Amino acid sequence: MKICIWGEELAGWTAAALLAEYGNHILKAGSGLEPAQSSIRAEPGLMNRLRNGIEAGRIMPADENDPFSADIHWLAVGPGEEEQGRKIVADLAKKDTPVLVINQSNLGTGASDELQTLLDREREQQVVYLPDMLQGGQAIQQFAHPGVLLVGCEDERARVTFTALMRPFTREGTEIRLMSRKEAEFTKFAITGMLALRLGYINELASLADHVGVDIETVRDGMSTDQRVGPHYLSPGCGFGGHHFTQYIEGLAGLLSRTRGSTLLETVLEQNEFHKELPFRKLWQHYNCDLNGRRIALWGLAFKPGVATVESAPSLRITDALLAQGATLQVHDPEAQPEFRRIYGDNPQLVYCDTPYSAVGDADALLLLTSWPDYWSPNYTELHRLMNEPVIIDGRNVYDPQLLRDLGFTYYGVGRGQ
Amino acid sequence: MNRDSCWRELRQSAEALKPRHLSEFLADETRFEKLSFTHDGVLLDLSRHRFDCRTLDRLVQLAEASELRTAISDLTEGRPVNHTEQRAALHTALRTPPGQRVEVEDENVIEGVHETLNKMESLVATLHSGQWRGYNGEAIDTLVNIGVGGSDLGPLMACHALEEFKPDAAQGIEIHFVSSMDGSQLAGLLDRLNPATTLFVLSSKSFTTIDTLANAATACQWLIDASDEPRELLLKHHFIGITAKPEKASEWGIPLQNQLLFWEWTGGRYSLWSAIGFPIAVAIGMSGFRQLLAGAHSMDRHFRHADFHENLPVLLALAGVWNINLLDIHANAILPYDGRLAHLPAYLEQLEMESNGKSVRSDGSLVEQRTCPVLWGEIGPNAQHAFYQLLHQGTESVMCDFIVPIRRYAAQSAHLQEQHRLALANCLAQARVLALGDKALDDEGADAQPPWKRYRGNQPSTVILVDELTPYSLGQLIALYEHKVYTQAVIWEINPFDQWGVELGKKMATQMLDALEDPDSNEALDSATRGLLDQIRKRREPA
Repeated sequence: MKICIWGEELAGWTAAALLAEYGNHILKAGSGLEPAQSSIRAEPGLMNRLRNGIEAGRIMPADENDPFSADIHWLAVGPGEEEQGRKIVADLAKKDTPVLVINQSNLGTGASDELQTLLDREREQQVVYLPDMLQGGQAIQQFAHPGVLLVGCEDERARVTFTALMRPFTREGTEIRLMSRKEAEFTKFAITGMLALRLGYINELASLADHVGVDIETVRDGMSTDQRVGPHYLSPGCGFGGHHFTQYIEGLAGLLSRTRGSTLLETVLEQNEFHKELPFRKLWQHYNCDLNGRRIALWGLAFKPGVATVESAPSLRITDALLAQGATLQVHDPEAQPEFRRIYGDNPQLVYCDTPYSAVGDADALLLLTSWPDYWSPNYTELHRLMNEPVIIDGRNVYDPQLLRDLGFTYYGVGRGQ
Repeated sequence: MNRDSCWRELRQSAEALKPRHLSEFLADETRFEKLSFTHDGVLLDLSRHRFDCRTLDRLVQLAEASELRTAISDLTEGRPVNHTEQRAALHTALRTPPGQRVEVEDENVIEGVHETLNKMESLVATLHSGQWRGYNGEAIDTLVNIGVGGSDLGPLMACHALEEFKPDAAQGIEIHFVSSMDGSQLAGLLDRLNPATTLFVLSSKSFTTIDTLANAATACQWLIDASDEPRELLLKHHFIGITAKPEKASEWGIPLQNQLLFWEWTGGRYSLWSAIGFPIAVAIGMSGFRQLLAGAHSMDRHFRHADFHENLPVLLALAGVWNINLLDIHANAILPYDGRLAHLPAYLEQLEMESNGKSVRSDGSLVEQRTCPVLWGEIGPNAQHAFYQLLHQGTESVMCDFIVPIRRYAAQSAHLQEQHRLALANCLAQARVLALGDKALDDEGADAQPPWKRYRGNQPSTVILVDELTPYSLGQLIALYEHKVYTQAVIWEINPFDQWGVELGKKMATQMLDALEDPDSNEALDSATRGLLDQIRKRREPA
């Protein structure tokens, strides 16, 4: 089948790579044939599959071909790109022929129905909603061997086409659960909210753990042994960021509060913002409420490892706070430094560093904010030697408190019982 | 003409006009044009006073004979108009734009004024950006102003009036006011507040005010108990001191960087324009605060330069003088028809009664006529259900000030706009009925009513209209009353800037504190006080 893939989300790239493997002809609309985001490029198994598809001529750029010549359109735009999605579908509607739109974008409940209204049912123009359940790091495996597929589909012909398209991945007995588009969207929405609640909950527990004097990491291990709880989305840290996740939860929180007067998710978001400053507060207390003139190293500016973006990242709030207190910052990030620099520009209180070790020179503390693999196992002796005061505030709980204390560091983690 | 001859002529006019009912004056179709005055959006309507244009000319002559023109220059140029304390009263300097000169003891005070404003601006910016941090690193989100009198009433009144002018950055900051010395306001508040995110603003000109320092000590102990941090650290991150006595504030423990200064020449009840206005600046942003100053400055220039015949503060003062000294009216009700001005009556009570509640002239002689009347007030529509009965049918003559904005809720629902129309309609109706009585009715039916349903009218009133209530128009309004007070003080030859009358009570309270504990020290007291002390001591022991 001829499929055009729209949008830059991981789900779109994964679909392109895997559908091409089974003989489909893929047109990739957008910037080029390589994902711009490093976290997508780093997705195990993705890039060589894409390359194979391109070499075999089964993945081609849409701008060299007519994107509207495709029979199936795979929509994988980000939340907030609703307008873009609407425009694509509106253009498709101008076609006289049947069209199947597979919407795998997180645009909120009711969005797929709205897209459907732009199309003409009489001409067999249909929208199917496929919730994006892919997790970074396991996307290929999860797309190729889904345990269950939740599908929002309200038309028999569309179901037949969709099922045929997905047959290579579902023949091992994957269960396809059909529901209305709106129900499928609401399900996605409910799952995301649940994950945010888990993150909010574990961070609350982490704060409490500090008070009670227990290590939240040990507690978390224990919690995950209960099958009802499980291990996922229970990593305490200095807050989640990222444009998409935050924006999606905000939408959800807004909806709950408007229609139900419920502040449950709003509280999670508020607490998350509060949690982003946790490393700052620990530092502030360590230095008796005076950070004026201190040199502080920041490791990690991106909102999560594998991305070059700093949107809603804890690093922004912490930088603002430290600058306001008159500290000098020495910052490092393997990828997000250019975007960070675009926001803060040149500032005598900000030193942009090329290596993690140049950032800690003469520093009065090191704040680890993003768990890039590069930071997990530093040369501790070198670190200790370079720093002015061996204080480490670990916003992602990547280090072993005992080891660091034995090496002569003052260590603060998130909920690690100090 | 000298003062005496002016007064003589005015008394003659009064004899002639007294028998005339306000309805007779209002029969003149051109009266409103002749007796309403406008400056920069503020409309002052004096057409419901029991005088005519000739009277007003005579009143202006009295102002001239009282050398008001010189007195205004003395005030605004920093001469020691507060002669009992030998100092200037330069609230006008507090709202003078930079680049001008006003000298006190060879120093240009305008520079200092703007230094303080700039420091305020930087503190406000730190708070608004969420970067004022408490002892555990959380951002401050609550401000508690501890002050009494001028250090409380002005900021409280203005913050309440201008709540809807909060910029986004200030939305997250709650502001509270604590004044009462018995701790009752503070105790309730501290139960609800988070010590880690609360900043106390201690406002005291002398930094010795017992009311304020008692509350401050309680607040400080509350923080120590909650945080386990040393006092010095808490004072650095949780207290701002606003004072004219920096050495006293330092002694108490407020670090220099947290001090905002004003000056001896700023009277307490004239101080909301100074650093005392800090809570207002936090509430409405520094640009809003500068608008408030600009509105007042506009009124200052008008007061200084406009002909007395069209000078709003002067005319407002003269109408008062007419009522008080020539018509024997000794009560003035302040009636804002806008709930946002709820604290304006209390504010003006202090401004007028603490300023002009005096009976000794500048030369030390006793005044021979009445000075400041009793002021009180309430949001107009609420007062209609409380004391308007007395205004309409009581035995007291009362002059009323109706204050109301023309537009409100422009960006809000039609229902709310309708509610403001309702308030406006009530304001106009009340002014009309107070003036005309049941003559306001078109028909002749009033005469047939039983005596208890009759309205005699003839209560004079002033209406002050502003287009909208904004920081600018509030600044104009307050300055209007400040200059009214000064004008009356000049005519009555009294000093509006001291308050010796409040000293003895304070002193006596210190003595009474001992008397409460020690029965032996009571012998010199009067029998009433001794009797009460006895009762209190007896009943104080739990049964």
